[in-house]
Amino acid sequence: MSPDQIGDLVQLALIGLAAGFLAGLLGIGGGVLMVPAMVLLLGFDQHVAQGTSLMVVIPAALTGSYTHHRNGRLFLRDAAILAAGGVVGAVIGAVFALSIDDDILRRLFAGFLLVIAVRMLLPKGLFRRESKG
Amino acid sequence: MTGAPGADQRRQLILLGAVGAAAGVLSGLFGVGGGIVMVPAMVLLLAFGQARAQATSLAAIVPIAAVGALIFGRADNVDLVASLLLAAGSLLGVQVGARLMHRLSDERLSLIFGIFLVIVALTMLVA
Repeated sequence: MSPDQIGDLVQLALIGLAAGFLAGLLGIGGGVLMVPAMVLLLGFDQHVAQGTSLMVVIPAALTGSYTHHRNGRLFLRDAAILAAGGVVGAVIGAVFALSIDDDILRRLFAGFLLVIAVRMLLPKGLFRRESKG
Repeated sequence: MTGAPGADQRRQLILLGAVGAAAGVLSGLFGVGGGIVMVPAMVLLLAFGQARAQATSLAAIVPIAAVGALIFGRADNVDLVASLLLAAGSLLGVQVGARLMHRLSDERLSLIFGIFLVIVALTMLVA
């Protein structure tokens, strides 16, 4: 194994560590970090980066959820309803992603992050609803 | 859950399912967990506390990501060696993060989540 390859392996584990930390702390999958890191730092195809990211998220989210559950913070019914909608959506999204070209998918991903960016930078009052009682 | 059954609770369940569906599409399409959409949506639309929204999001991500990974994997778009290395790091990271979450107040968590999104945003705008 060349030093270059070892460097890649170490980078992957470190990217995973950072993504896992974000997943546990912020309740996100970490893909928003892993996908750009794999594409930009390691030269992965966009499709492979996304598929790999989804694979990695499964054990991390599972063990993180168990920790939240033990701390009494997890409402399983809410999560089940959220997931029921999510699974249907994921099939639609994944089938569409596989039907498009790698370059186009990369640009769509960048556009998606840009939308989140703009939404975050806008004043919160535009989106925040009054919480009831 | 405020405990008031009926129309209000039905509305909440429908909203939850809809948020999940939207996040699922983004998850399948972009290989992200969808939490970046689910967490703010639960906090802003359903008035969940930050920690509760995050815990609920992380649990929902498990089946959502599994479906996406299955579909991408069947098309040969999963790098298994890379997955193992990333998973080794992330299994450690997620425990550190999840334990830290329970030590922080909702206010502090909201602030950290907001700062994280701004960093993602700025990185995108610069890149």
